[in-house]
Amino acid sequence: MIQLHNVYMSYQGDGAALSNVTLKIAKGEFVFLTGVSGAGKSTLLKLLYGALQPTRGQVVIDGVNVSKLPSSQLPFLRRKVGVVFQDFKLLSNRSVLENVALTLEVLGWGKKDINKRVYHILKQMGLEHKLNSTPLRLSGGEQQRIALARALVNEPKIILADEPTGNLDEESREKVLSILKEANIRGSTVVIATHDRRLIESSHKRLIVLDKGHIVEDSDES
Amino acid sequence: MSRKNVAKRPKLAREGVGGRLHYFVERAFTNIRQNLPVNLLTIGTISLAFLILSLALLIFVNLERVTETWSDRVQVTAYFEGDLSPGDLSTLKARIKAIKGTADIDYVSREEALQRFSGRLKGQEALLEGVSYEILPSSLEIHLKKDNRDSEAVSRYVAQLKKIPLITEVQYGEEWVKRFSHFMNLVRFAGILVAGFIVLAVVFIVANTIKLTIYARKDELELMGLVGATRLFIKVPFLIEGVVQGVVGASVALLVLTGVYLAFLHNADFFFSFNTIEAGLLFLPASHIVALLFGGAALGFLGSLASLKRFISL
Ligand SMILES: Nc1ncnc2c1ncn2[C@@H]1O[C@H](COP(=O)(O)OP(=O)(O)OP(=O)(O)O)[C@@H](O)[C@H]1O
Ligand SMILES: [Mg+2]
Repeated sequence: MIQLHNVYMSYQGDGAALSNVTLKIAKGEFVFLTGVSGAGKSTLLKLLYGALQPTRGQVVIDGVNVSKLPSSQLPFLRRKVGVVFQDFKLLSNRSVLENVALTLEVLGWGKKDINKRVYHILKQMGLEHKLNSTPLRLSGGEQQRIALARALVNEPKIILADEPTGNLDEESREKVLSILKEANIRGSTVVIATHDRRLIESSHKRLIVLDKGHIVEDSDES
Repeated sequence: MSRKNVAKRPKLAREGVGGRLHYFVERAFTNIRQNLPVNLLTIGTISLAFLILSLALLIFVNLERVTETWSDRVQVTAYFEGDLSPGDLSTLKARIKAIKGTADIDYVSREEALQRFSGRLKGQEALLEGVSYEILPSSLEIHLKKDNRDSEAVSRYVAQLKKIPLITEVQYGEEWVKRFSHFMNLVRFAGILVAGFIVLAVVFIVANTIKLTIYARKDELELMGLVGATRLFIKVPFLIEGVVQGVVGASVALLVLTGVYLAFLHNADFFFSFNTIEAGLLFLPASHIVALLFGGAALGFLGSLASLKRFISL
């Protein structure tokens, strides 16, 4: 489902944020990506949803070579990939409902179907009563779950989550993890970038450790 | 791999062009509502810009009208000896009519000429006692079409007129025509210059206001791209929004102009105390109003398009 071959990534002028990363994640896998701050976790995820192009090397997602993809095709790749951004990227001038609905609007869904589906997923997140609030009036943890809902609402083939439990207490963290696992069981490939040791240890899933842009450990390979 | 997919394409509500357009329009109006302060600011700015433009246009239109009434005085008089038989007169008129630029022709017989002359000598009619009308020539007074009243066109016309054998003399107040056409050119030039500057300023102000409002929403543009929206899908609602802003802005400007016109200007005879004009100012003709509305729409559309180009790089 996800393949990287000898990927180098350097932001203009800076040293390499990723170097010589080769990686294979199969369909239906559940993977943790960890490493100290600045190790390149977010950079790696950005390559996977086409927000960045690798400086060198190949990135192949669901059989599509992202590095060779014409920009007009990029939206169609992104529809297969649900992303929880480290900074959420919620729109403050829209309601919670509209924020989550965006993913489905883009796909051309009708209003009724959208409302039903969004309500359903917000209920899963325990946030159905916040449907009409604006994201600015939610707590950090609530915002994070809205961001998660937006990523999951169309049941994408791939789910990329950048620090999805950063702001959460014990209980909500478990909840988020179980939601991601559920999505995984339903067939989505899940990649989670996180510092959260406890999250990783409690899950017994594949773990990839990055350090200064290199993969230094991959529990699958050892 | 079994993938019990709840999201497996429920009926797409917006198949076809109509459905999509409906969605885009709805989206545009939702956007306006959700970004009301910014939109009001933009519409306000556009209104102000268009108010200045339409006010200038109003002044220009009226100035044109004044100069037009003045130019009615441009008149060519063709004299000939004696009186003409009705047959000769009509062939002569036909020949003059055939010259490009002729508007209408009045025949002034010798009796009439004398009457007019004595009319001008009010109180001193005695001077004319015993004078026979035969010393005066009869003439044709020719009015020219609007586009033929500048000094070059008039002298070209007169040259044509002089070729007609029966006509012995042609007069047309050469000095006056020259000065008048000079003045007209000056007015036109100043008008175009001022209009040009105003249009430039309007375009600049409107484009930049729209750019700022779009810049304020660049997060939205970015996110739409990240959730898989195509460029068209992102752009169209913004373009519709721009057109709405432009049209509403221009409409508000025209409404304010109408208000100002009704309150102060329509009976402002003091404004042009140049006697020739009846009274007050004319409002903008319908063609100008339509042009302003279209201008607003086009400006809103192009302004949005240009600004979007800078922010949508996917
Ligand atoms: N937009 C950017 N421009 C330049 N350098 C960047 C940019 N984004 C990240 N970097 C650099 O790339 C390296 C990797 O950053 P990245 O965001 O991938 O780290 P991370 O592992 O996600 O860290 P964190 O755990 O703090 O989120 C860092 O050295 C960072 O300074
Ligand atoms: Mg990061």
